[in-house]
Amino acid sequence: MELGLNNNQKTFFNLDPRTKIFLLVILSFMVFNDAPLYISGILVLIPFICLFCSNHKKTAIIYILVYVLAKYIQICLLPTATGLVSFILIAFSYTSSRMLPIILMGYYTLVSTKVSEFIASMERSGVPKDITIPVSVVFRYIPSVYEEIKSITNAMKMRGFGLNFKSLRNPLKMVEFYMIPILISAVKTSDDLSAASLTRGFSSPKKRTHLVDAKFNIFDYLVIIVSLFGFGIYAFYFLRSVLSI
Amino acid sequence: MNERLNVKDLITVGIFSVILIVLIFIFGMLGYIPILMLTLPILAALICGIPYMLFLTRVNKFGMVTLMGLILGIVMFLSGHTWVPILVFTLCAFVADCILKMGNYSSLKNSIISHGVFILGIMGNMLPFFILRDYYMSSMKASMGAGYVNTIAPFLTNETLIVLCILTVICGMISAYIGKIVLKKHFEKAGIA
Amino acid sequence: MFRIENLNFSYNNRNENSLNDININIKEGEVILLCGESGCGKTTLTRILNGLIPNFFTGDLYGKAFLNDTLVSNLPIYKLAEHIGSVFQNPKTQFFNVDTTSELVFGCENLGLEENEIKKRIDIVVNDFDIENLLDNNLFKLSGGEKQKIACASVSAVFPEVLVLDEPSSNLDSQSSWQFEEIIKKWKEQKKTVIIAEHKLFFLPDVVDRVIFLENGKISWQWSIDEFKGVNHRKLGLRQLNLEKLSPKRNEYYLSNNEFLELKNFNFKYGKRQVLNIDYLKIPKNEIIAIIGRNGAGKSTFANCLCGLKRSCKGELIYDNQVLKRKDRLKKTYIVMQDVNHQLFSESVIDEVLLSMDEENIGLAEHILTDLNLIHLKDVHPMALSGGEKQRVAIASAIASGKEILIFDEPTSGLDLKNMMSVSENLRFLQSVGVSSFIITHDYELIMETCSHILHMEDGEIIDSYKINEEKLKKFFLRN
Repeated sequence: MELGLNNNQKTFFNLDPRTKIFLLVILSFMVFNDAPLYISGILVLIPFICLFCSNHKKTAIIYILVYVLAKYIQICLLPTATGLVSFILIAFSYTSSRMLPIILMGYYTLVSTKVSEFIASMERSGVPKDITIPVSVVFRYIPSVYEEIKSITNAMKMRGFGLNFKSLRNPLKMVEFYMIPILISAVKTSDDLSAASLTRGFSSPKKRTHLVDAKFNIFDYLVIIVSLFGFGIYAFYFLRSVLSI
Repeated sequence: MNERLNVKDLITVGIFSVILIVLIFIFGMLGYIPILMLTLPILAALICGIPYMLFLTRVNKFGMVTLMGLILGIVMFLSGHTWVPILVFTLCAFVADCILKMGNYSSLKNSIISHGVFILGIMGNMLPFFILRDYYMSSMKASMGAGYVNTIAPFLTNETLIVLCILTVICGMISAYIGKIVLKKHFEKAGIA
Repeated sequence: MFRIENLNFSYNNRNENSLNDININIKEGEVILLCGESGCGKTTLTRILNGLIPNFFTGDLYGKAFLNDTLVSNLPIYKLAEHIGSVFQNPKTQFFNVDTTSELVFGCENLGLEENEIKKRIDIVVNDFDIENLLDNNLFKLSGGEKQKIACASVSAVFPEVLVLDEPSSNLDSQSSWQFEEIIKKWKEQKKTVIIAEHKLFFLPDVVDRVIFLENGKISWQWSIDEFKGVNHRKLGLRQLNLEKLSPKRNEYYLSNNEFLELKNFNFKYGKRQVLNIDYLKIPKNEIIAIIGRNGAGKSTFANCLCGLKRSCKGELIYDNQVLKRKDRLKKTYIVMQDVNHQLFSESVIDEVLLSMDEENIGLAEHILTDLNLIHLKDVHPMALSGGEKQRVAIASAIASGKEILIFDEPTSGLDLKNMMSVSENLRFLQSVGVSSFIITHDYELIMETCSHILHMEDGEIIDSYKINEEKLKKFFLRN
């Protein structure tokens, strides 16, 4: 997985990070409730639209297909299924129909946001440095950890610890083998990175400026209005059914 | 003691958050198997002790642990785990931070307890299911009959939640203790703890 | 520009002084080279200059350092950042961003410059360094040379008067090093003061004005560059300044009855891009073979495929009249990684070796450690060792598991002469016990010292395979 890196593919459809966060919050509510498709429809479509308009057409289509499949199972197959089959189907359909939209929205947020863009918009919204710095470090460091895990896996394979008996015999040892090098380099990286950013004036008390302009465009307003509308329907349905219990 | 966090502290928080996130996500994969999802907090608690204890060797002021909880919550939020984890994780981390402060950031006992509390924050990932359990159950009963609901009901009770929390805390403390041993065994010898 | 008077420094929890009685006067626009063996204090000195001591690394500091007649220790480090730009050794850990453009503006943003001003500066820097094509790219996907270019450019964007470089070229291939020389020249034209601490010297003679040689934390010599050209570098433990002077030491193959390794059908695709394409290759066995080629030529992929780490690479290796498929190769081969930390897992050196054995045999393990001059360290934690020692532990564990083909991924990057020579000794030792070694390297001096056969890769293909030949190598390594 690559986080916030696909920035050389500029598209006409660009959302402000704040919009994305707003959408995440709204979609969060869907996890709590499983509404019929005609109620949750708009909310379900939002991640689809976002992904589809921004060079993730394949993901978007797979998402919508899986979602439809889950709904289909829920509506048509479940009443007739029994035993273990029904158990698996229930698990699949319920988890998918609740979690998929928000997970895909999360995915979209992560892959479509430049780290600097995200930080800029957070700082403009008055989020203090104490939060923005660690968050940007998180995004910066995840690819490195990924590479390290790959390289340690290779090293272990060459020592005969692959997916085989030798390594399964002692799973705790495996955890240790992975953990030690990663942690050691984590400590080293945090020192090096701190030193490098200090020499570049990162500790300056002056307010940071931003080259990326974070402004709402027409799509931001459009998506927000649509999602609010969808959320309105959803909330109405949700409250009514909660109150009627 | 009450100095502000400096750039180095903030970067340390970021780096160690990544380690915890990666661990939680790797074990979170198991969460896609429905019932195993319930064991996620326990697994996470068992594994996160080592990095947490190493993190504590670099913590000496109030706020770093709380901040790490907040960051973990934010990442959970961004990756589609709803906003509940932000609240839960920050709260747990804050309590953990207070416990550490009482031990002046040097007491082993407090460190171990604080990890138990800190890692409880991961319950935030699944709390949504529990909060609205009744509603969840009733809607399921309607669509798939009492049989299924009765099979899984025992897993979704308040008691389970409590038991799960207690287990998480205990596992968290055990793992912190293991973490301390690993720290001695590897990092102190290697001269970086 | 810079004036240092009677400066002494020792790090916390270290007894001896890292810097002793340092006096330097650096004029504006000078390019200064700091050199000396590993641990001589050059990195520490750069840290004094860029303010990391005492702002980040703590210890006992006596003496004074002045920047334009202001006491450095009176300035907070973010003030210094406006005047001094620093580039470090490891491009991986000095970036704060994931994409190149954000990294370029990072310093300016920190200093709170106006947006328009930042844009103006970025345009200038992009033009100066010719990095238009690198903008808006993922930093992690760039080659080492490109990363270091971005690092230099982003430091330049702040328009500092002084640049402090700490071993900036250790991860660069030779052509990138020459490009680095261009960058320094550019700074020199702009009348900037450049201070560079380096082991690799060959790309520097035309830009440096003055050389400062450190020994045990003391300045023992200062030369003008012309004087320095006449100095015996070997004697001082320095790398070669003039590569022309080197000649191959191993003109003959080690074995006279030449046996061969044969490689068949080594292909590997990364997505749709063919990154490795070797149909047939025959190379002498039990030799020390250098694999050369630019960054990104597919050398590491080749190594991974040879070791059987890439599942989709179906190639065959014919070795000792046996055909080795992927899984067999995994047992016979071993990579000594550039970051050795990733392959050391145990809590002591002896455990590390025992871990590699199918059945633990302490006698044999100790024997191997003795051969590699590690026996006195057998109970030490591998992570507490020096870089060279770690590498030897990795070699020891490879021998213990019966590996017969070893691949070294840039074993000498960032090493001084002494450590490079010891790598070379290790390689010869491996040869004497029947191991065939491949070395992925950009180090001309190491090749001249140790290797007898060269594989030249470009774009995933072996474009040349030859017995060591000075003329051909020079074409690749020297400025073209």
